[in-house]
Amino acid sequence: MVEVLLALMVVNSILALQIRDMLAAVLLLGAFSLLSCLVFFLMNAPDVALTEAAVGTGVGTVVLIWIVYKTERRDEA
Amino acid sequence: MKKTTILDLVSRKLAPFMLLFGLYLLSYGHMSPGGGFQGGVVIASGVILLFVAQGVGTTASLFPFRTLSLVEAAAFLLLLAAGLAGLAAGAGFLGNPMAGVDVRAVPRVSMILVYNVLIGLKVGAGISFVCMYLFREGR
Repeated sequence: MVEVLLALMVVNSILALQIRDMLAAVLLLGAFSLLSCLVFFLMNAPDVALTEAAVGTGVGTVVLIWIVYKTERRDEA
Repeated sequence: MKKTTILDLVSRKLAPFMLLFGLYLLSYGHMSPGGGFQGGVVIASGVILLFVAQGVGTTASLFPFRTLSLVEAAAFLLLLAAGLAGLAAGAGFLGNPMAGVDVRAVPRVSMILVYNVLIGLKVGAGISFVCMYLFREGR
C-alpha cells in the first residue's frame, strides 16, 4: 500500500513539474500533499498526517492558487 | 470574484465546524493526535475559508485586524511567561512548574494543555493574519 502511494507521488510530482498550466500544477501539488498525508497515516504518525493535511493541502494550496490568480496562469518558458 | 450560492452556503455551514475541530485538536492534543500547531492551522484554515468565500471585508467584522494581531502578540508573551514560570520553579525553561508541588485539584498534565492552547492561538491568529493581509482587496 505504501509503495503504491509512493509510486503515485513520484508520478504526481513529475506531472506537476512538466505541466504548462500553473493552476493544474498547484492542484497536483495539493494532491501530492494528500498522498503524503496518507503515507504518514499508514506509517502510524497521525500527528504529522494532520499537520500535512492542514498545511500542505489546505493553507499552502490556497496561497499558491491566490498567487496564480494574481500572476500568469500559463508558463511561457 | 463572482460569488455563487453553493460556495456561500457551504462556507457558512462548514467554517464553524472547522473552527470547532481546531479547538478540539487544541484542547485534546495531550491525549489524542493533534496539538497546538495542528489545531491552530485548522482554525486558520476555517478563517481562510471565510476570507475566500465571504470576502475579507465581511469576515474582518468577525475577526478584526487589530484583535488578530493582539491575540498573536499576547499569546507569544504568555507562552514566554509560561516558559519562564518553569524556570522560576526550578524545572528549567519550558519545564513543568507543577512537577514538584502537589496540587490535588489541578492535574500535572495541565501545563501541556496551557502550552498547546497558547501555541494554537498564536499559530491560528498568525496564519489568519498573514492570509488576511494577502487577500485584502484594492491594493
